[in-house]
Amino acid sequence: MKHKLLYFVMLLALFGLVLVSLGGGLWGAEKSIGHWTGNLFRGVCHQMPDRSFMFNDVQMAVNSRCFGVFLGLLSGWILIPAAIYLIKQKTWVLWFLFLAVIVQIIDYSGNLLQLWENTNSSRAVLGWLFGLAAALTLFDQFQTNNKTESS
Amino acid sequence: MNEEEVKQESNFSFNDYWPSVGIVGAIFSLISFVVGLFFGYQQINSEPTGSFFSPIMISGVVVCLVTSVAGLLAVWHFTREVSPKLKLGQGAVIGFLTGAVIVVISVILNELWIMLVDPEYTEKIMQSTIANIEAMDMPESAKDDMIDAMAESMEASQSFFRQLFWGIPVTGLLNLITGLLGVKFFAEKEETF
Repeated sequence: MKHKLLYFVMLLALFGLVLVSLGGGLWGAEKSIGHWTGNLFRGVCHQMPDRSFMFNDVQMAVNSRCFGVFLGLLSGWILIPAAIYLIKQKTWVLWFLFLAVIVQIIDYSGNLLQLWENTNSSRAVLGWLFGLAAALTLFDQFQTNNKTESS
Repeated sequence: MNEEEVKQESNFSFNDYWPSVGIVGAIFSLISFVVGLFFGYQQINSEPTGSFFSPIMISGVVVCLVTSVAGLLAVWHFTREVSPKLKLGQGAVIGFLTGAVIVVISVILNELWIMLVDPEYTEKIMQSTIANIEAMDMPESAKDDMIDAMAESMEASQSFFRQLFWGIPVTGLLNLITGLLGVKFFAEKEETF
């Protein structure tokens, strides 16, 4: 595996991202919005209370879809070392990413057009798939050249 | 091209990154600013419908998506204009810096708009959003929570430096990840020996 330093720094950063996205509940605060955890995500997430999970009875700092994406990124990042040895077809992860993006668009559009109503759980699962796919797409960048040649 | 030249080409300084970071960052912050204003004034001028999908909510999603892909495009620009060879870590730096530039320019543009064009913009957005939340079909306690959350969220972002302090880390990290994807998609593969 190459770029080990970058891998571990990113692993730490993504772990921190997920931890902070749990919101004020993790840090003993009564709410996340207005708390430093909520402030960190204000620019990237609408943070609507009815579209967010609760953690320790406090609304998380991000909505369910964003939390799913962050958790998916971390999950995928953790799986990269395994993917280097297990995934033989690089195109497989690209198709996975493509499908995850399409499913996100369909889910969001269907809800917007009131064809169906998604839930916090469905948004989190689809977000998780997207994050997982985005992280796994990078697995070949961490493969050593010999492995790249052989795959 | 010999090995020495390839090595030299791979060692870039910040000056090499800035054109791509600056151009893409400026374009994307301008796009997010204009999109934000467009949906913002749509929100201000619309009747409260009680729908969750208010213009300001759609604006948030669009701006988030648009700004997140900037890292990817900054790396694409770099591979076109500076060097097609790029290491993964260099893509990460370009992505993070692009995110930081987007936050800085967006905050400046927003501050200028409020200072020079429409000083009551934030207030009007807040009033319109509160009116929309009050028209929503949900329990009063949930409405109060949403209104409190929104008011606190807007108060928290009043200071220029606080907006930068809170905005850069997450936007930078998201663009860093798309910057890594940019290296995968656009950079020339390293030669195998």
